[in-house]
This record gives sequence, structure tokens and C-alpha cells, in this order.
Amino acid sequence: MGVGKHLNLWGKEKKILLEVLLNTGRTVDQGVSLEKGKTSSEYFDKVAVAFLHPEDARELGVKEGETVRVSTEFGSVVVRCRLGNTERGSVFIPMGPWANALTSPLTEGTGMPSLKGLKARVEAVPGEKPTGLEELLRAWRGGSGPA
Amino acid sequence: MVLHRGVVCPFCGCLCDDLEVEVEGGRIVSTRNACPVSRSKFLSHAEDRARPMVDGREVGLEEAIEEAARILREADFPLIYGLSSTESDAQRMAVRLAELTGASLDNTSSTCHGPTVLAAQECGAVKCTLGEVKNRADLVIFWGCNPAEAHIRHPVRYSITPTGMYRQGKKDRFVVHVDVRETRTSKMVNQFIRVQMGKDYELLSALRAALRGYRVKEAAGVPWEVIEGLAERMKGCRFGIIFFGMGLTMSRGKNLNVDAALRLVRDLNEYTKFLIMPMRGHFNVSGANEVLTWLTGYPFAVNFSRGYPVYNPGEFSAVDLLCRGECDAALILASDPAAHFPAAAVRHLASIPTVVIDPKVSLTSKLARVVIPSAIAGIECDGTAYRMDGVPLRLKKLVDSPYLPDREILERIIERVGG
Repeated sequence: MGVGKHLNLWGKEKKILLEVLLNTGRTVDQGVSLEKGKTSSEYFDKVAVAFLHPEDARELGVKEGETVRVSTEFGSVVVRCRLGNTERGSVFIPMGPWANALTSPLTEGTGMPSLKGLKARVEAVPGEKPTGLEELLRAWRGGSGPA
Repeated sequence: MVLHRGVVCPFCGCLCDDLEVEVEGGRIVSTRNACPVSRSKFLSHAEDRARPMVDGREVGLEEAIEEAARILREADFPLIYGLSSTESDAQRMAVRLAELTGASLDNTSSTCHGPTVLAAQECGAVKCTLGEVKNRADLVIFWGCNPAEAHIRHPVRYSITPTGMYRQGKKDRFVVHVDVRETRTSKMVNQFIRVQMGKDYELLSALRAALRGYRVKEAAGVPWEVIEGLAERMKGCRFGIIFFGMGLTMSRGKNLNVDAALRLVRDLNEYTKFLIMPMRGHFNVSGANEVLTWLTGYPFAVNFSRGYPVYNPGEFSAVDLLCRGECDAALILASDPAAHFPAAAVRHLASIPTVVIDPKVSLTSKLARVVIPSAIAGIECDGTAYRMDGVPLRLKKLVDSPYLPDREILERIIERVGG
């Protein structure tokens, strides 16, 4: 995706945008915490995260634990940045409601939505709170929200 | 204290059947041989349990079942979805209910290995059991999957380190991992090959070309020497297997990626014994495909509105039905689409009367009109589940539960719907 070639200045504040490919999937932490309950804080801590390559995170100016906004043409969420677990030019979000606020519902006649390899943008949003579960639920119920 | 031996784990498609579970005073106090996810499932089974609810109000079980039946009776085009994290008798009851209500019936394979089913229907699949892999495989390829995090004991029980009849541990196997990123699995293998995201079809096609003596410069970011080397290794092994996951089924190409993998394996059988197996996720998603196939003729995305089963993925698959806003009610059994479907599908699910049957509070239950709690199959009730290789295994009941098994809840709904 040409990481580094797409650094832009964005809006009033200096915000840097990274264009990447979105990957989603299972992690051990996701599996363990979902058995504790999907409304548990442990699930939120393990699943409302985006893994970035350390070099991409450095270019974006974010550190482990800081918040980033990840957006696709289908939605946008704010999650905490984690380092590693992915290649340069991609972002990995564990399967769950935050990942699926971004994924494509188009199945191309197969029944399978497109959950891997979507074009996504990652933006540093220091100080912003991660999108809460209640916020996602509100959006699904028809209220305003990120998804 | 009671020690249960030979317990089958009801989490992933490995269905590890060597667990030991200690029960004391009706509670599970410890597990042995369980992976971290399995241990969490057993030890946390009593946490975060669902309560019978109608419109956000806690009610008695009978009232919830009655309301569920009313919703399904009055619906013109209901959807019954899920089925994969329960046992096969409940799946059988779900088929009966779908037939009675003229529903569309889909299971979670439509969002995991549905594309695999479609590809296998096109060109067939050369299959085997996990026991054969353990005893005979000398070349194991993990493609677009991450067993170290998703099927945690697969490598130690079947594919990398176990001692089989003709294979003495890891030294007798060459293990390759093909994926878009290095993961914990990559650290367990002899060779990691990075494929560019969305380019699996190209790499599989290049391997097929290499087998036939053609040459390309590179494919999917993989140099020709690596492609040729892998093709030669595949031809030269005595018993090879490809285990593949969502890296093929969820990325660009979907069923066509799997089709290319199945055809590669078919080609390889001109030279040696080579097999392929999908890494199934939910512990009984294979069973959902089996039960639907032996009852309706089709493995998923089946519609009964004409009074007989009609199969059409893309039309009767859950995500498509929801995104087009076609279904006017839904019953979700043993799965959580609100957590795992794209938002557009979840929004329609939230807008229609939805019934959730689930042991635990799920995100779908937060959006549902009716919630019916159930016993956890394999912990609180017995049943049958199908392993990822299609071998059925018996799940045990380890502790008593105040909740009914899914199959009994469905039977009661069926009685009220008029079955």
C-alpha cells in the first residue's frame, strides 16, 4: 500500500494519515477473554485494539497504548494501538465488533463478507477515547455512532 | 471431587478428547491438557450467563419461549442462523423448526468455510482424518491460518510435534507456513513464506504452473526459487497435507482461492499422496454442515419458504439476507452475529424481532427482543460434535445446569409453533 508515501496533513491539527490494508482474525487473548464475557473489560482491552508494525507506528507518531482511528468506506472506530503482530502496510484488528464496524458486507454471491484485505486509513488521535461497546450498540440500534 | 477423564473440549474444531476436568461441589475447579482458551471456557462457564428476557425485561422461561414461538409464527420470512457452537441434536431441531416456519436456515460456515464448501462442490477435495496426518504426514503446510492462536493444540496433537505410527515427532516432518504476516505459528515451522495480502490465488496458481514445468519471475511477492523449491518439496514428499484457514476464504477471491488450493492438491496426487483440510473454527461447525446436508441435501444457506429446501449462497446466506433487509424476524442459536458480522448486517438484525438462544450474554442478546438461556453443550449437557476432519465425537455432561439444552428449548418452540 505504499506506506510512507501517503503521509498527509489533515484538518486543523497536524494529523498524519496512513493508508494500509485491514486484516482481522483470532488471537489467543481474544479467545480467552470472550469466554469471560463479551461485555467484560478484559474483552474490550484485548479486542478494541489495532496492531501496527512498529515502523508504521513510528511514522504515524503513535506509541503502544495510544489511540488511533481506523476507517474504511464502511465505518470508523477509535481503538488502542498495539505494536507488532503484523507486516508493514497493514493493520490487524482481532475479530469482534470493532473489526466488524469496518469490514465489508459484500459477499459477491458467496455468503462470505470481505473480512480481510480491505483498504483502510489509520490516523493518530491522541487523547481520544476508544469507541465503547455501548456506542457500537447504539449505532446498530439506529442511533448516531461510529459504525 | 470427581475427576472426568477423556473429556472432549467444546471450543474449536480440534475437539481435543484428552482433557481431564475436576468437578467439586457441582463446579469445575481445574482442567488438565486444556489450551488457554479451553481452560477459560471450562473455568468461566458459570460467568456472564444470560437470563430469560423479553423486550429487556426479565421473565420466566416459559414466557420467553412463548414469545419466541409467536415471533416465528407471525414472521413471513424468518432467518434461523448460527448452530455451530451447539451439539448435533440441537442442529437437527433447528432444521425441523426452519422447515415448519418456512425459514431461511444458515450456519456460521457461511462466514468461515462456506467458500470452502462452494469450492469443494466445484472440484472435490482429497481428504483424510487427523489421525492419518499424525501417523503419516512428512510435509505439513499451514496456509492462511494461525493454529498457534486459533487451534492451539493442533500442532502438538496432530500436525507438528506428535509421535505417530511412522513419524517420530518434529524431526520427521517438514512444516511450512504461508501467510500474509509472521505469527506465533511461523515460529514453530521450518519455512515461512510471506504472501502479499489478497494474492493467494496467484501463488497457488504459480505452484500449479511449477508442477507442470512452467516458470514465472515471481508471484504474490514470492521469488521463483522459493515457489519452485516448495513445488519440488510437495512432489517429493510421501504424505503431504495443506491445512488452510480464513486467509483463503475471507480475502479477495474467497471460494476461488480455495478452488485453486483444492486443484493444486488434486494435481499433486499425480506424483504423491497429498491431502487438504480446512481448519474449522467453532467446535461443531462441521456438524452443522453434516446435519444440514443429511437432512436437507445442502450444507448451509438453505431456504424452506417453498415448502422444500432450496440452496443458494449469496441469496439465503445470513449476511446477504440481512444486508438486503429481507428477513422480518430471526432466531440466533449458539452464535453471536452482532460480534462477528459487518455492521450493515447487524443494523438490520437490531431492527427486527430477534430471538437469541445462548448460554451467555452475547452482543446479539443485547439487541434481541427475546433471550433464552441454555445449557452449555459439552459442559452442562451431552451431545455429538463433528471434528474438523468429519469424525463425530461424544460430548460429556460434567455438571448439572439450571438451564435446558438447546435441543429441548427448540423442541418446546416447535410444539408451540405447531409441529
